Amino acid sequence: MKVTQSAKEKTKAKILAEAVNLIIEKGFKSASMREMAKNAGVSNPTIYNYFPNKEKILYAYVEQKHKETAQILQDIEDFHTYTLREQLQTLIETELELYLEDREFIIQIADMVFQSGGFKLDLLYDSNAMFREMVSDMLSIAIEAEEIPNPPFEEHLPRLFWDYYIMVVAYWVKDDSEMFENTTLFIDHSLGVIEALLQSSILNRANDLGMFLFKTHLLSALERFSVKKSGFSKIKRKFGEVFNDK
Amino acid sequence: MTSNRGQKKIPTSRVSRGAVVGKAMLKIGMTSGTGAVKRAFMSKEDKEVAKSETHAQIAKVIIDSLGTLKGVSVKIAQQVALGLPFLPQEYLDEISKSFNAIPPINKALIRKIIKQELGDYPQNVFDSFESEAFGAASLGQVHRATKGKKELAIKVQYPGISRSIDSDLSVIKFGLSRFAKGQDIDHLMDEVTERLTEEVDYELEAQNTKYYEENLNHELIVVPTIVEELSTKTVLSSTFLEGKSFETFLKGNPSQEVRNHYAQLIFDSFFMGLYRLKMIHADPNPGNFIFMADNMLGMIDFGCVKRVDSEFLNGFSKLHILLMDNASDEVVAEQYAELDMVDRGEMEEMLTFYRSAIKPLDRIYIEIFAQEKYDFKENNDFSERGFNTIMDVQKNQRHAVHKMNADYIFIDRTLLGYYNMFEKMEATIDTRFAQSLIRERG
Repeated sequence: MKVTQSAKEKTKAKILAEAVNLIIEKGFKSASMREMAKNAGVSNPTIYNYFPNKEKILYAYVEQKHKETAQILQDIEDFHTYTLREQLQTLIETELELYLEDREFIIQIADMVFQSGGFKLDLLYDSNAMFREMVSDMLSIAIEAEEIPNPPFEEHLPRLFWDYYIMVVAYWVKDDSEMFENTTLFIDHSLGVIEALLQSSILNRANDLGMFLFKTHLLSALERFSVKKSGFSKIKRKFGEVFNDK
Repeated sequence: MTSNRGQKKIPTSRVSRGAVVGKAMLKIGMTSGTGAVKRAFMSKEDKEVAKSETHAQIAKVIIDSLGTLKGVSVKIAQQVALGLPFLPQEYLDEISKSFNAIPPINKALIRKIIKQELGDYPQNVFDSFESEAFGAASLGQVHRATKGKKELAIKVQYPGISRSIDSDLSVIKFGLSRFAKGQDIDHLMDEVTERLTEEVDYELEAQNTKYYEENLNHELIVVPTIVEELSTKTVLSSTFLEGKSFETFLKGNPSQEVRNHYAQLIFDSFFMGLYRLKMIHADPNPGNFIFMADNMLGMIDFGCVKRVDSEFLNGFSKLHILLMDNASDEVVAEQYAELDMVDRGEMEEMLTFYRSAIKPLDRIYIEIFAQEKYDFKENNDFSERGFNTIMDVQKNQRHAVHKMNADYIFIDRTLLGYYNMFEKMEATIDTRFAQSLIRERG
């Protein structure tokens, strides 16, 4: 059982690598599943067992990189001595570094996502569970160690961080500085901001202010309106959803 | 662990850097304006005070923005303090405050830089690597590591430094040109630019270090061995020298004999470098010396060196011999003309210029050579007198600066830095060896 599982993984990795190469060579649209299968030395039906369509290959690629990143981070002996910011920065830098050899591939994907709109970024969220988990772990450890105060919307932060990461990738794709030095600096500086935000109580204070305004003014206003006009109850429910959601 | 926290980040992107530069310029303009308006309604004495206030304000503005820029600016500030003696005291004070600020490189960045420069993560390149820096270095920081049986010191540079030199220098230049009216600061700025460009190039530093190691040949002076396969333009690996820092050394209350010994080694190594290697370690920072076991002295950080040529050495030696032998002012002035520090012309003019602009400095520099030994404990105001004399001379002769031979200034200024160390060590040095080197050449 175990052997088949690892054999499967191997085949999957092989297909993935060949697919990426082919996409770099021919472009996402022109690269056919048939040729990918041929290059990977698997039959045409087999490739569909692994990847029902081309997009799934992309998700698998992203997932694969997360896995490799997680492994690399695990191998850092003194990772626990890193500050939250250093951990997050290492995560981002490692992911980018793994992308480096497939930069052409990433550029194509980025074009599809940001330019032609042929691709919905949202779809990628499904494949980033591992990334979010890593971020979530780092955050909760930092909170527990009292490195940062407990932030509001904690469970949403990993997703926000993923959005930030996408921004970094977008920057990197356009970066033409030597050794992508600008991206390194962009990451260093922007994480400085994120670190400062997380360490300060700004997030909490903003949340307090929002809640105060909502409870004191909006809520009572809505109550008044809802008595007069039943149509407002709909809006009220919507607001309620937003805040219950947290 | 949390040492990096709360420090302002260094703006290295062109946009933010430009913004800081712009802001600094705007502020300098405003401050000068304020001074001018105030001065118009003041008595002469008050004007002087106001002028000095304005200077202090400008100094603060410049240094404030340099503080934001950090990195290269700190180095520029040091170089400026070293190379531009005509700066008002307020500027020097502000500059000296910024001396110890260096940009932090966190653990994530260190990993990235090592991987990028040396091809693999620190844990794979080295047998052990301390991700916490143990010291600051020129425009970067130093980490300890081991590989095989070797203890190593790995110097790592903050990314983007070399690209930010130009924009940093433009702030300085603008700031300086506001008050250095009529003075030619261009060649000094060129000198500073050159030094800085050299200093961010670790490959050059590796070469310099090797050159020193191979040629200094002094049984008590140790220069680190560069590990070439682990060095690049922004990462410099060398053997680690175990020993005490200047401060720790002094805190341990070393005997007079030991203090004299080390001061002597430092002093002699300077002249050996100058005359035999034609290259001096031009950064008189006590941090560049390591007080090792068995009376050995470690010399590190060859990022800031100054090379001299034979022609200069000949002129320099002749001049010092004349001064040591109390030659007449005419003869000395003639020699200065030879060094391009006095314009050739009527002897009367040359003498007037020499006596007002240069002679007071001569007396300072030659003072230690008057006897075989010089006691810095008795003369612990030596470097201060030196700097004050420079100030006085500059006040009287505003146009004097451009006459100075940059090499000459550089060497004397570096020596003054060394003497400042000797004062703190309360050491007595024997000047005979240095004198013999000078006389050999002349």
